[in-house]
Amino acid sequence: MDIETVKERAGPREFNPADDLPEEYRKAATRMIEFHANSEIMGAYLERPFIRQAPSIDRKLAFSAKVQDEIGHGQLLYRAAETLGIKTREEMLDDLANGDGKFLNCFHYPMDSWEETPMIAFFVDGAAMRRQATLRRTSWEPYAHAMDKVCFEEGFHVKHGEDILATLMSGSRAEQRRTQEAFEEWWPRIIQFFGPTDDKSTHHDFAADVGLKQMTNDELRQAFLDMYVPKARNYGLELPDYPRVHQNDDGRWVVEEDDLDWDEFFTVARNNYEPGIGQIDGRARAQEAVEWVRDAIESDATPQSGKAPQAAD
Amino acid sequence: MTQIWEVFRQEEKGGYHTHCGNVHAPDREMAKQFAAVQHGRRKPTNSIWVVPKDEVGEIDGDDVSFGGTTDKGYRWTTAYNLQTRQAEEVEESDAEQQDAEQRRGEA
Ligand SMILES: [Fe+2]
Ligand SMILES: [Fe+2]
Repeated sequence: MDIETVKERAGPREFNPADDLPEEYRKAATRMIEFHANSEIMGAYLERPFIRQAPSIDRKLAFSAKVQDEIGHGQLLYRAAETLGIKTREEMLDDLANGDGKFLNCFHYPMDSWEETPMIAFFVDGAAMRRQATLRRTSWEPYAHAMDKVCFEEGFHVKHGEDILATLMSGSRAEQRRTQEAFEEWWPRIIQFFGPTDDKSTHHDFAADVGLKQMTNDELRQAFLDMYVPKARNYGLELPDYPRVHQNDDGRWVVEEDDLDWDEFFTVARNNYEPGIGQIDGRARAQEAVEWVRDAIESDATPQSGKAPQAAD
Repeated sequence: MTQIWEVFRQEEKGGYHTHCGNVHAPDREMAKQFAAVQHGRRKPTNSIWVVPKDEVGEIDGDDVSFGGTTDKGYRWTTAYNLQTRQAEEVEESDAEQQDAEQRRGEA
C-alpha cells in the first residue's frame, strides 16, 4: 500500500497486521505507541513508592492495584507497537533503560510527598484518559484494541485520584496547604502534558493524516481544561499566577502559552533533565535487578513436577 | 490426517475476533475454506482466523479462581462515591465496569 492510499483509507481501526503498510506509517505508529508504552512504565515507577507510603490500608491496596494496571498497560502497548515490525519489545525496553526511549514530560519529575499523588493520579491520569478515549478510534487496530482495555480500567484511576484529592482538601489546614503547594508546582507541567499548541508541534500533521491521531493537542488541552479547572477550584485549589489562565465569555478556559517554560519542556523531552535522568537510571537498575527472573523463566530448568504456582490475582 | 481447527470470526472491521466454532480439515488452507463456508456465510463477517486446536491452551475455574478469592472492591470505579460531575470518558469506564461487575455477580 502506498502512503496516498493509507491517507485515503485512514479511519478508525482501519489497518491491522495483515495489511502491507508503508514504512513511514509503521515508523510513525511505532514512535507514538512506544512513547505511550514508555510513559505507562515510567509513571508506574514514579508512583510505586507510594504503595509503601500510603496513609491507610485502603489507599495502599488501591495504589498497588493501580501501579499493577499501569505496568499492564505498558505491556499491552509494547505488543501493539511490536506488531508494526519496526522494533521489538526488547529493543524498546533497552532504549528506555539506556536513555534513548522518550516518555511523557510529567514522569521526569520526582514525587516526594503524599500530597503530590493526586497531581499524577487525578490530573495526569485525567489528561491521559482524555487522550486515550480518542485513541480508541486510531487507525492502527491493535492500538485501538489496547485502548479499549486501558480505558475500561482507567476510570478507577481517575476516580481514586479524585478521592485522594477530596480527602486532602477536606483534611487539616496543613494538609490543604501542602496540597495547594503541590498543585502550584505541578500545574504548569500538567498543562504541558498536551505539548505545545499545534502550530508548534512537529509530528501532528502526518499522524493525523494517516488516522493515528484523532484529535489535535489543542482540542485535547481544551477539553481537559474545561473539565478539570472547575474541579480543581471546587476542591478549593487556587490556580497559580503563572501561567495566566482566564475564562472566555463562552466559558472556555485559555492558557497564556508563553508563560510556560518551553525550554525546560524540550530539555525534559530530550531526556536531558537531570532529575528525569535519575528516574530513567532508577528504572534501568530495577530492570537489571530482575534479570535473573527473566533468565529463570526462559531457561529450560523450570520444574516439571509439583503444583503449578498460583498466579497473582 | 485431519485435525480440528478452532474458528474465530470478526464481524466488522476493527472489531474483535471471537470464537464461533470449529472445523475438521487436513491443513490450514482447507481449514480456512471450510471456516469461510460454515461460519462466514450467514452472519456478518469481515475476517476469520483458524487455529489448530492443539495450539490452544486452556485454563478454567477448576485450575484457578478467576477474579481472585479476596474482595477487591477498591479496584472498581463504583468504590468511589464522589458526587461530582465526571468527564465523559470516566463515565463511560464507570458504565463498562458496572456492567462487568453485574455480569460477574450473575455468573
Ligand atoms: Fe495507564
Ligand atoms: Fe492510569
